[in-house]
Amino acid sequence: MTETYTGGCQCGAVRFRIEGTLGEASICHCRMCQKAFGNFFAPLVDARHEDLTWTRERPSYYASSDLVDRGFCSRCGTPLVFAYRDYPLIGLAIGAFDEPGRVPVTKQHWKRDKISGFDTLHALPGGPEDDPEFADVIAEIDASNHQHPDHDT
Amino acid sequence: MNLEETDIKSGGCQCGAIRYCAEGFKRPSICHCRMCQKAVGGPFAALVVVENLSWTRGEPAYFQSSNLVRRGFCRDCGTPLTYEFEGSHIDITIASLDQPDLVAPEIQLGLENRLSWCDGLAALPTRTAEAEAAAQDVFSGIRNHQHPDRDTDAWPGDAR
Repeated sequence: MTETYTGGCQCGAVRFRIEGTLGEASICHCRMCQKAFGNFFAPLVDARHEDLTWTRERPSYYASSDLVDRGFCSRCGTPLVFAYRDYPLIGLAIGAFDEPGRVPVTKQHWKRDKISGFDTLHALPGGPEDDPEFADVIAEIDASNHQHPDHDT
Repeated sequence: MNLEETDIKSGGCQCGAIRYCAEGFKRPSICHCRMCQKAVGGPFAALVVVENLSWTRGEPAYFQSSNLVRRGFCRDCGTPLTYEFEGSHIDITIASLDQPDLVAPEIQLGLENRLSWCDGLAALPTRTAEAEAAAQDVFSGIRNHQHPDRDTDAWPGDAR
């Protein structure tokens, strides 16, 4: 069933739209994905090139190997794309979707590179950002938020 | 966190244009807030506060995500590197460290934006052994351009 998904980088310079069906959604623990995303893993979902439209600027690319290009926003840095060259599918960063909750992941790859601590992340205690002492700071950030909203503009 | 207060650790971006050394590691965290999600393209950012940070090769580009916070990244390859709270503290992304295993998060922030599917990540299935072996065959032939997980005198090296 054809669905529409939108997303983009933090600053909003790069935006995309997918009209189609998404493929496998996964997290990849390999060290290259860790470094590219500066994170425990890369969360990626496959889409067909023909279903994807860049609706504002396009990503910049870094060739992380001879086979793979990684796309990101050169203005704010958000990692956006993992793409094998000459391959019908393109991997998009799930956190860059406007509604990442619509893209649940179903698989994990390269567990041999898994960072210790990953298995218990979900059980960590919560932080103090809801404490009254943080209210003013949070309000100031909310009022001056430069992030692109989670919808096309 | 398996680090002493005085430990100095190195790290950098994927392409190696930006390298740093850091010390004074505090409060390793994951943050689920929507701004961190979007900045790193993931369900959360994994960050650790550092008291001292010096750039040993290159310097990051910045996006001012609000009037209080700027986020550093590599303009050449995009790796998210810092979360810098004006006048207060600097966090670095844990996975940009050369030894990210040393800095296990101890707290999670921004729980109001936590994606519902985060809880089950550790229990997700992986490839079958056969599929993993087949994938390994493909990947063993790839020429990797990523900077190694240690400081180098020059990069890219002559081998490229």
